[in-house]
Amino acid sequence: MRRLGPPLGRLSDEALLAGMATGAPEIALAFVRRFQRMVFGIAVAVVDDPQLAEDIAQQTFERAWRHAQVYDSRRGSVKTWLGTITHNLAIDAVRARKATPVSPEDLDALLGIVTRTPEQCALADEAASRIRAAVAGLPREQARAVVMAGIYGMTARQISEFEGIPLGTAKTRIRTAMGKLRTVLGPERADHD
Amino acid sequence: MTDRDCEWLRAVADELALGILPGQERAEAIAHLDGCHTCREHVEQLTLVADGLLSLVPGSEPPAGFETRVTDKLGLNRPARRRRPRAGVAVAAAAATALGFGFGGWAVGTAIEGASAPSSRSSGPPGSEHGLLAASLLAPDQRPVGRIFAYTGSPGWVYMSVHLGRDGSGSDSQAGDRSGSGFRAEESEAAGSHGVYPEAGEVSCRLERTDGTSVHIGEFSLDDAGRGYWGAPTRVDPDTVSGARLLAADGSVLATAHFDARQNQ
Repeated sequence: MRRLGPPLGRLSDEALLAGMATGAPEIALAFVRRFQRMVFGIAVAVVDDPQLAEDIAQQTFERAWRHAQVYDSRRGSVKTWLGTITHNLAIDAVRARKATPVSPEDLDALLGIVTRTPEQCALADEAASRIRAAVAGLPREQARAVVMAGIYGMTARQISEFEGIPLGTAKTRIRTAMGKLRTVLGPERADHD
Repeated sequence: MTDRDCEWLRAVADELALGILPGQERAEAIAHLDGCHTCREHVEQLTLVADGLLSLVPGSEPPAGFETRVTDKLGLNRPARRRRPRAGVAVAAAAATALGFGFGGWAVGTAIEGASAPSSRSSGPPGSEHGLLAASLLAPDQRPVGRIFAYTGSPGWVYMSVHLGRDGSGSDSQAGDRSGSGFRAEESEAAGSHGVYPEAGEVSCRLERTDGTSVHIGEFSLDDAGRGYWGAPTRVDPDTVSGARLLAADGSVLATAHFDARQNQ
């Protein structure tokens, strides 16, 4: 297949997405290769079912393919856009299938992963390292609440039931945690590579 | 808009940004944000935090053959992708342009105006996809002058093709019909334009709601023939959206559209 422009692996995420909009198979394949680990990672973390996660990951790329034309870089990076699509699909799938979105064991395992200190993991970017450190610095109950809400899509009511705490307490934990994370991230865009 | 409204919004802003606010409260919060710039900025900051949380989830290798299954699903592995003979060239040229110069998605499509879509794209009628609203844009004299599509899913978006020129009917193409239909008419080839549309230039689009209110969703430029293609991500509430208006810089109405047939599979 004829190459177009510079080697595809070196193109920016935005350029690859632009290529997706043209329907060129080579570019679509490069796009899938670049983001499949991230997309599948989010899907499998949320749904905890490899087969379902693969379906969600496929749907994500299908949507990216269909909607590449309306992506707006001013609203966030391609990664963020794709991650949000995946997350929304995964949350919808979980809400349709399970009463309890996450088991205590899975929550603890993911919490351990997302709060690993920067020295312990390869960092994608500075914003990710700052938010990781910020989550790691939260009191355990707040970190649990924000991970349950932000990654597993659990409502405050679900969190209160899961943790055996009053609804108001669950809301307070979410709010306090988000406030601290927002302070750490500051006014900068956190989603541009 | 009262301080109490803002106070209430601040109390639910974190849950809104995280996407976990229950339906009714979410609708009220969104309605408040439409008219409150300060709260909107606050929620945008919190949304960055929510996005940041997702970036902490570790990547994971999908099962073997995943790539192939995805490209199969997109119809990219079919040996005979039917295009009009020159369309393939146009698409390749557009891709080369876009990729060679590192343009974003907006700049691609205009260079391939007239190219047929890859066969893998939806070939159904406009609005045949779940959550997609479609309507004709009509000039004040009821001439069709384009199409508008609004996607009510998440993330939502609006896309339109406009041709105000009087050299025939307005563009009536499907959103997916022109792989990568462009968004910046000033970059288009403007092929086939006849005459100059006197009110060309900067136009704005507003989404209309069933309660009579409307929300501004953006501006774009038309070329000298009154032609342009534009799209933007925006929240489209299927329960309240009723149509759209295209306005000239002086506020006069260039075209209107009414979504009257929501399509669901």
